[in-house]
Amino acid sequence: MNAQPRMPLLAPYPELGEAPIPVEPYLSQEYYEAELNKIFRQDWLVVGREEEIANPGDYKVKKLDFARTSVILIRGKDGKIGAFHNVCRHRGNKVISETGGEETFGNNKAAVVTCRFHGWVYNAKGELVDVPMQEKFPSCFNRAENGLVPIHVGSWAGFIFINLAKTLPKTLDEFLGGVKEHFEGYPFNEITHCHTYYAHINCNWKVGMDAFCEGYHVPTIHAGSFPGLTDYWQDDVAFHGDHRSIAFYSSDMNPPTPVGTAANELFGASIALKRDEPFPLPKMVNPKRHQNWGFEQTTVFPNFLIHVGAGLWFTHQFWPVTQDKCLWEGKYYLRPPATNSQFWAQRYAVLLQRNAWLEDTATMEDTQQALLSGVLDKINLQDDEIMLRHQFHIINGRVTGK
Amino acid sequence: MSDAGEDSKIGSSQWVALCMAADVPDIGGLRIELEGREAIAVFRSGDEYFVTDDQCTHGNASLCEGDVIEGEIECPFHRGMFDLRTGQPTGSPCTVPLRTYPAELRDGTIYADISVKK
Repeated sequence: MNAQPRMPLLAPYPELGEAPIPVEPYLSQEYYEAELNKIFRQDWLVVGREEEIANPGDYKVKKLDFARTSVILIRGKDGKIGAFHNVCRHRGNKVISETGGEETFGNNKAAVVTCRFHGWVYNAKGELVDVPMQEKFPSCFNRAENGLVPIHVGSWAGFIFINLAKTLPKTLDEFLGGVKEHFEGYPFNEITHCHTYYAHINCNWKVGMDAFCEGYHVPTIHAGSFPGLTDYWQDDVAFHGDHRSIAFYSSDMNPPTPVGTAANELFGASIALKRDEPFPLPKMVNPKRHQNWGFEQTTVFPNFLIHVGAGLWFTHQFWPVTQDKCLWEGKYYLRPPATNSQFWAQRYAVLLQRNAWLEDTATMEDTQQALLSGVLDKINLQDDEIMLRHQFHIINGRVTGK
Repeated sequence: MSDAGEDSKIGSSQWVALCMAADVPDIGGLRIELEGREAIAVFRSGDEYFVTDDQCTHGNASLCEGDVIEGEIECPFHRGMFDLRTGQPTGSPCTVPLRTYPAELRDGTIYADISVKK
């Protein structure tokens, strides 16, 4: 009889090793700056969804603290999305004030943005189309040379990506690689009713990523919000270059309370729910069509986690702010409710999820502070934490060039 | 301007049929390009219709892409404003009046005298 390997998820990937991983990447300023320069300023980053700026003239301004900039995403009259640094070419003011905080939304039917300082006007291609009192500028001033500074932009499955590199290391297609095929057919564009939470957390961005990349923590930290989720297991590990996928299963996903049962009968909005009705999934997601499949998680490198379930999906994103501070954004997507009772059922499920996310995020500052004590120089990972191990190997390879 | 009464001037030579009233959008205005002259704009505010030049007198903006707010048009470039009835600027940075044209509604069609008076 063949014994089950002690580490069945990790066994096919000996290159990931079994040893503890170092603490330095969570604490070192030098390591952090290398991550920014070699990863965040080189790779494609998710900055929004196409439906957030669905109509011509819709725009979104997203702060990117790690790059000390904010990006204007604007849909032109031709339907195309442009991305630009939010910096006026006149004297460098922010063209659009970030009145919305991390994300500011607006619309202009002329599909232009106007700097509120002196009124310079730029269209959705970034071209400078109007300068008040232009005749007072010297003859060497040329409008054509003073458009907004562009940022590479692309879309996949409704996700808007930008790339801050001057010269693109990879096209978006090359960057995504197998992720596109992995999710082929998942209806991201139909399940668009979004509930958003965000917080600044005093921890390295990877501490946040780690907390959402394994199921090992669920029976302990989520005993409050998901008391039924004790018997979980992980499977379907797939690596797509720098990106990674894993699925979560449970034999006991039924809600434990009468009110949870009532909510789930009205609308299947919770991930902690066993579904009897089949939901069409991409063939690589839950490939065995196992009835205990809960959801699958794919990390789009470096900082974006997509979780897909049956009829719902959600994302986490951790943005570096400083070496020991990050911005967390959690977004939970459902089909729009058709009735008031469905609205209630969705709110119930989303608040349950929010509670779970509070349980997750509450560990992060404690983790960072404990690591900052300097007592540890390495941390221990078990088989279910294979995604953390892969993340360490990919990032460390990029940072050290090895 | 509302429905034309008995004193309609539509018969005179300067008046032209511009568009169907139903074609004037609820948001912004309808831009009409005519040969040999600047484009003009048709706006609705409440149940009244107004005909003006389309280009803002301040920046190079199409006022049809602006917002009509209680009888005034707000430019999409700098949020300057004009009174649609008189063309007078009512919001900074606009200072030069907007040209307006006499207009009438008859049988669902907007007519206007778009001759340019010196």
